[in-house]
Amino acid sequence: MSTTASAADASAEVATRARRSRSRRTLRTRALQAAVLLLVILLWWAVAALRLIDPLYLPGPGAVLSAFVDANRCLVVDEASGRTVCGVQNYYLWEHLVASLQRIGLGVALAVVAGVVLGFLMSMWEPVNTALAPYLNFLRALPPLGYIGLIIVWVGIGDTSKYLLLFLAAFPPIVIATIDGVRGVREDQVLAARSMGAGPVDVARYVVLPAAAASILSGVRLSVGFAWTTVVAAELNNGIPGIGGLAYISGTQLNTPLTIACIIVIGLVAVALDGCIRLVGDRLTPWHGKV
Amino acid sequence: MSATPAAAEPLVSLEGISQRYITDGGEVVHALAETDLDIPRGQFVCVVGPSGCGKTTLLKVIAGFLTPTGGSARCAGEPITGPGAGRGVVFQQPNLYPWFSVRENVALGMRIRGISKKERAERAQEHLELVGLGDFGDKRPYELSGGMQQRAQIARVLANDSEVVLMDEPFGALDAITRARLQADLLALQRAQNRTVLFITHDVDEAVFLGDRVLVMSARPGRIVLDQEITLSAHAGKQLGEEMRRMPEFIELRERIAGAIEH
Repeated sequence: MSTTASAADASAEVATRARRSRSRRTLRTRALQAAVLLLVILLWWAVAALRLIDPLYLPGPGAVLSAFVDANRCLVVDEASGRTVCGVQNYYLWEHLVASLQRIGLGVALAVVAGVVLGFLMSMWEPVNTALAPYLNFLRALPPLGYIGLIIVWVGIGDTSKYLLLFLAAFPPIVIATIDGVRGVREDQVLAARSMGAGPVDVARYVVLPAAAASILSGVRLSVGFAWTTVVAAELNNGIPGIGGLAYISGTQLNTPLTIACIIVIGLVAVALDGCIRLVGDRLTPWHGKV
Repeated sequence: MSATPAAAEPLVSLEGISQRYITDGGEVVHALAETDLDIPRGQFVCVVGPSGCGKTTLLKVIAGFLTPTGGSARCAGEPITGPGAGRGVVFQQPNLYPWFSVRENVALGMRIRGISKKERAERAQEHLELVGLGDFGDKRPYELSGGMQQRAQIARVLANDSEVVLMDEPFGALDAITRARLQADLLALQRAQNRTVLFITHDVDEAVFLGDRVLVMSARPGRIVLDQEITLSAHAGKQLGEEMRRMPEFIELRERIAGAIEH
């Protein structure tokens, strides 16, 4: 017993040391990334300050920052009458962002439900796969901008068209990831469950779904990414409130500082969202890659 | 125990089981020639033979993973039509579910069969202790060594109360020391619970050590060429553990079986 205790101590020490060297490594990585970011901003500022490029095309970091701040507060536009304008296009920037996130959330949520169900059907029942796989690949290959016009003709310019477009963009990767996950389930794990008395529903619940979970979650990650890239297309028409619509409209109005602010917000939120999903995925499937 | 009189019918009964398949080249392979086998309740049967002799086919037929091309297979009087809770399987590769804790793995069969949570927890713990994993119930399978995972797999099958335990070279991937330890523990467990076991191995020593009866199989077509009862002076011989391996009778049986394999 004492040998196992000291072995446990030794392995704990090794683990601590490994963790320490890993955290040193991440620190170095972060420092390098921060330095590059600083350099880019500095360069941007210098180019703008020296007026190497017309500020209409490339406003400086300060102008972008103040566009961002102004888009989130109320401004007095007319001293005499005391008239104020809040945000842009009647909404604060964060409201535009929330509107887009809601669209993505609902579109992706519907895609997850439908995609997982269809993925299960296609992987468990070959004829369904044979019948539907070509259409799925066709849909997947289409750029959403290509069919947004058709969707508007079909369901109108309202929010339905946006949900539908985001759903269609998010749906194929989830189906494909589910099929991959279900097909990757180890046969002996299924047989073991059946030898314990498991019927098809038990097998699906206790073996196939958890075994496919990691793959499905990475499909969700992909599809949220697709949904983000599609959101601007979805909001080109009647997209206010919406961060994509705001980016587009401010561009057409030559409000480049606000356009750049929107682009930065879209990018940062996308990266943060992806990180969150990855974190949740790791929490939900802690066994992934460990067997 | 091996010599129970004809009072009860055998637990597992195979009649004229055969298995053929056609290779991609159109060649007919006789994986298993017509084979009869009766396994009485409480018997520990080991099957040895070279790879391709049909020993795994035999196990798969009893497990219900494979429908034989000929003959009939019955377990507890019922025809075998597919896998079922009555015939638990311990696989060669550890295949616990990593999304469950070790305890949940052991309790899964009972959960599927609708046994109450309380009883499940008690029986799972009891079986974890039986295989020496009493303190590891809350771990995840991947936190255990290969030998411990096989122990947990055995506990999972035993806790589910299956009538027959089918084991497909469960210790094949383990190192010699771990394997010897697991063999001794498995034998003690089987004796204590009077389980019916069919154990596939390619290791003659393992077969003689564990079995009440050893079947030797030969390839092309796969068939049983020797059905050897293992009686060591006083059956208590099996209680001897490691000592048993040095008994002259043990060595003699081992050589006879090894000889049968070579033919």
